[in-house]
Amino acid sequence: MNLVLSDRTLDSFNQQHPTVQWIDLSRLNIANCVGCFGCWTKTPGKCVIRDDAVKVYPQIAASDRILYVSKIKYGGYDTVMKTMLERSIPVQQAFIRLLHGETHHVQRKVVPKAAVIIGYGDISPEEQELFCALVERNAKNMSFESYRIIFVAENEVEAAVSKEVAAWEK
Amino acid sequence: MGKVMIINASPRAPKSNSKQYAQLFSQYCHWDTEYFEVKKSNHLTLCQMIGNYSDIVFVFPLYADSIPVTLLNFLKTLEENVPCEKPTISVVINCGFIEPYQNDIAVKMLQLFAGKNGYPFGSVFKIGSGEAILTTPFRIFLKVKMKKFADSIEKQRYNSFQVTMPIPKKMFIKASTVYWENYGKKNGISKEQMQTMQIE
Repeated sequence: MNLVLSDRTLDSFNQQHPTVQWIDLSRLNIANCVGCFGCWTKTPGKCVIRDDAVKVYPQIAASDRILYVSKIKYGGYDTVMKTMLERSIPVQQAFIRLLHGETHHVQRKVVPKAAVIIGYGDISPEEQELFCALVERNAKNMSFESYRIIFVAENEVEAAVSKEVAAWEK
Repeated sequence: MGKVMIINASPRAPKSNSKQYAQLFSQYCHWDTEYFEVKKSNHLTLCQMIGNYSDIVFVFPLYADSIPVTLLNFLKTLEENVPCEKPTISVVINCGFIEPYQNDIAVKMLQLFAGKNGYPFGSVFKIGSGEAILTTPFRIFLKVKMKKFADSIEKQRYNSFQVTMPIPKKMFIKASTVYWENYGKKNGISKEQMQTMQIE
């Protein structure tokens, strides 16, 4: 499955993309994770908050190609994307394993994926460096087999997304 | 003599480990400390109070490899509501992994915020195995480091400290497995149920 997960509406998706699933997080109702550990210890694999997030994280887990589109803030994902990423922990178990010599959570049925992250906004070189380090860490916890990061200005997002989606559809 | 505002930015602040770390800090800090929790409704109130303190200590857990969205949103409000005086920002961060360095990205995000907005940056205390260390005999190591962290703020000799359980990683994994198994048992959930590969 090819998934585009964006924190904003994308005009590129006004036309049909039959092989690509697009989720516009800005139009969904997604509350903050409350850190209750319910998805690990009460209803394993399911978040106890039954809002729109429960429709999103299964699709993230099932995708083998994923394009994240997020505004960058303080060298990380801005609120909309970060809220969703925090609500995605049902895809992991509470239990810890060793991965490349580091401790990380065991994943449930998460398809290894090729990820592209389009980070947009007015991003300083320091923020870019920090974001790259963050994604390197995310790769271990979000089952990225490979990833690329593209930084663009806000007015360049549509073009960058169109280019990536066109490459998928070839 | 300074005055410290402790801000707990854990998403589950009232029941959080961060609250216990904040209490420990208060215990070891000789300056006046006041404790607050970030809630959706109190950002502006906290921002208005910040100028009355010489220091802020943010206490929070690592969430998805970085700062929790609770803290991110508070920082965004603080950026828009600049206090008359800018206190020095220090950080106590904990993660459930044994490696304290997994907290580094989140610390750098706070440093970036401080630098960008003109706040002096103080000390850092990175806690590994933070979910369980307080319930083990190793909490003594945590207390020793917390005292040093508090001293560094009082003496303005800012530094970075870290602590974790001093055990091999394989032993840590076994111990954490037992910890989580027991957590599930309290909810009537078996280890096998917790290990389901099914998502939704």
